[in-house]
Amino acid sequence: MQRPMNRALAAAAALAFALASTAQAQVGLTSNTATVTLNATKSSTLTVSPSTATATLASITDNSNANNFSNVSLTTDWNLTAGTSVRLIGWFATPAQALVNGTALIPSANVEGGINGGGFSPFTGAAVGGVGVAGGSLQLFSQAVAVANYFSTRTDVLNLRLNLVGFPTTSAGLYTGTLNVQAVVQ
Amino acid sequence: MHSRTGRRVRRCLSFLVPGAALAFGAREAAAQAGTGSPARIIALAATKTSQLSVIIGSGAVQTIASLTDNTTNNFPTPVVITTSWDVNPGQTNTVNLMAYFTTPAQALVGPTTQIPASRVLARMTTGLPVAFTAITQNALGGIGTAGGSLRLFAQNISGVNKKSSRTDNLNLQINLTGFPTLAPGLYSGTLNLQAVTQ
Repeated sequence: MQRPMNRALAAAAALAFALASTAQAQVGLTSNTATVTLNATKSSTLTVSPSTATATLASITDNSNANNFSNVSLTTDWNLTAGTSVRLIGWFATPAQALVNGTALIPSANVEGGINGGGFSPFTGAAVGGVGVAGGSLQLFSQAVAVANYFSTRTDVLNLRLNLVGFPTTSAGLYTGTLNVQAVVQ
Repeated sequence: MHSRTGRRVRRCLSFLVPGAALAFGAREAAAQAGTGSPARIIALAATKTSQLSVIIGSGAVQTIASLTDNTTNNFPTPVVITTSWDVNPGQTNTVNLMAYFTTPAQALVGPTTQIPASRVLARMTTGLPVAFTAITQNALGGIGTAGGSLRLFAQNISGVNKKSSRTDNLNLQINLTGFPTLAPGLYSGTLNLQAVTQ
């Protein structure tokens, strides 16, 4: 009578152990690992930000180059992976009509620009790297770039003036025009 | 004389022995009637393996065409996730879905710099992070990495839903606000999704 009882107890213990093992296996049950691939592309950037959208010249003096517009601060930012230079180009879309006052025109040849007080040159150059207009452009600076400064910035003061020396006397009135400023990587 | 006596004795025995044997056998038969053997217990154990799976229905590849510095960048489409389970409610309180990066400091790796997990945010409006939340939590139940995990939902388990599934949308975002300007290039990483019972 005692032996069957012992066997029953042993079997019950084995069953309990088996169930306990199953319970333990289910705690912290984990699934497969699903994955999501994340791709994000950061593009190269090149921007020019003028401090002001308008440069003014209060009073034009004929036959003089003392016709300075108010200065414009230009900040050029770039974040690149390639290239050897960043160049800033100023250009007029229609060189023959840089500034217009009705039918009176001032061509880009009589508009001069420079940066940081380094002297003036007329907007009569060619386009650079596809930026600008033939005969109506001026390279304002060329900044060498390499790995060390592929991400950088610079701020310059753009000086503008009308050089009317030898130019026909202008008509009275307001002359308006648009100078485009654009950077390009070469 | 002796031989005659011997034959008589053998003749008597030939009658007595079978009778004695019959009497003995009848007594044994009477003892076995109505008597059971000792009980023997056979333990039966059959295991139904619990099931837990995570399947991505769509959005397994997430792409931002153009990252913008110093702002939030949303991945355009959600990751549609179906989590299925068949568990023992007596042994499972919750089914939890975890998202995690293996290396939190390098959630997305770029050409020269990395985007850490703290800059990758996730939102599951049907789960726990209903607003965009950085993937910076710790592991749960051994799933995930310290500082690079996010618990997306905790589904309570009872007898009613011991075998069930749910489908959720996971939205992802890269927040570069205040982050140093990234170098141009492709930034890639892998977000792991794994469920665990508690």
